[in-house]
Amino acid sequence: MKKTFGALALLFLLGVLLVVASPSTGIKFGLGGDEWMKYRYTDQYYIDHGVEEVGGTNIVTDIVFDYRGYDTLGEATVLFTAIAGAVALLRPWRRDEDEE
Amino acid sequence: MGLIVKTTARATIPLIGIFGAYVVSHGHLTPGGGFQGGATIAGAGILFLIAFGFGEMKKRYDHHLYSALEGLGGLVFLGIAMLGMGVAFFYNTLWHSGPFFNGQPGTLLSAGYLPVMNLAVGLKVFAGLVSAMVAIAAYGRWRE
Amino acid sequence: MIPFQFITAFLLIAMGIYALLYKRNLIKLVLALDIIDSGIHLLLISFGYRIEAGQIPTAPIYTGYETVKSAMVAPLPQALTLTSIVIGVCVLSLAMALTINAYRHYGSLDVNKLRRLRG
Repeated sequence: MKKTFGALALLFLLGVLLVVASPSTGIKFGLGGDEWMKYRYTDQYYIDHGVEEVGGTNIVTDIVFDYRGYDTLGEATVLFTAIAGAVALLRPWRRDEDEE
Repeated sequence: MGLIVKTTARATIPLIGIFGAYVVSHGHLTPGGGFQGGATIAGAGILFLIAFGFGEMKKRYDHHLYSALEGLGGLVFLGIAMLGMGVAFFYNTLWHSGPFFNGQPGTLLSAGYLPVMNLAVGLKVFAGLVSAMVAIAAYGRWRE
Repeated sequence: MIPFQFITAFLLIAMGIYALLYKRNLIKLVLALDIIDSGIHLLLISFGYRIEAGQIPTAPIYTGYETVKSAMVAPLPQALTLTSIVIGVCVLSLAMALTINAYRHYGSLDVNKLRRLRG
């Protein structure tokens, strides 16, 4: 019963993804020319004004640390919390029978 | 591990360290940055742990130092972001009107606070990954 | 016709979901989470491709040599994929620590035997 339900859910997911990814009824792939300026104008702004406002010639590092630095702050917090949790889980615990 | 692995590890651990330092410090000129370079330097630490065994690692590892380094990296990242607080939260004060990282775009001493942030994040990622791997290796053999 | 980058990404996601539903070993479930992450990152990066007439798409970096500014691919999905990779590493490390503790406590790695709560 559960296995047929899982197989039906997987087929439904694959059908939805096929409809979304086809270029006529879903997301376009490989824009260029006029469509690029219509759909991706923020990327064009980052490429044009990245060097004079931030100063680094690597546009991806510009975006990660200056235009979207708040996301990097959240990611550093998640990294610190996960490493602290993993190290704390692998320490020796006192058994409950020893204390009684 | 065997003799071939130990000899190769002795030769390549410093080279991996130097390459990782290059990837971290030139983050604003070439592909790379803080996270990628930190993971590369952590690869050198994990190669030492695998090739020479856990006994050799226990003589040189100090968990208070690595915990302090990880916290220091996070605090430097947050402190540098608060420098331009008069205008906005992540304002690039050092590039617009500061004394230090002010050169031509394309040289090493340019781009405001980007090199300092790359170093802080690289240190944090390196310390975190090496301490997590040593905690997994020391699971049943913990001695205080 | 669907581009081949999308087909590969969807195959990876489908394989990860299949392993998450039908396998019983705990370590195989943890590895299936990582495969789903890889499929999603490939899908995110392939949204930023750019095809111009007669020019080869280049990476968004101003090197010292001649750069063609009008054929750079989109840099924003690459920046968001970097953040997602680090979060995937964090989730994986916590899941492995929990698996090691569960093996020490129950003695077996089978998911069907972990159902009884103790105490």
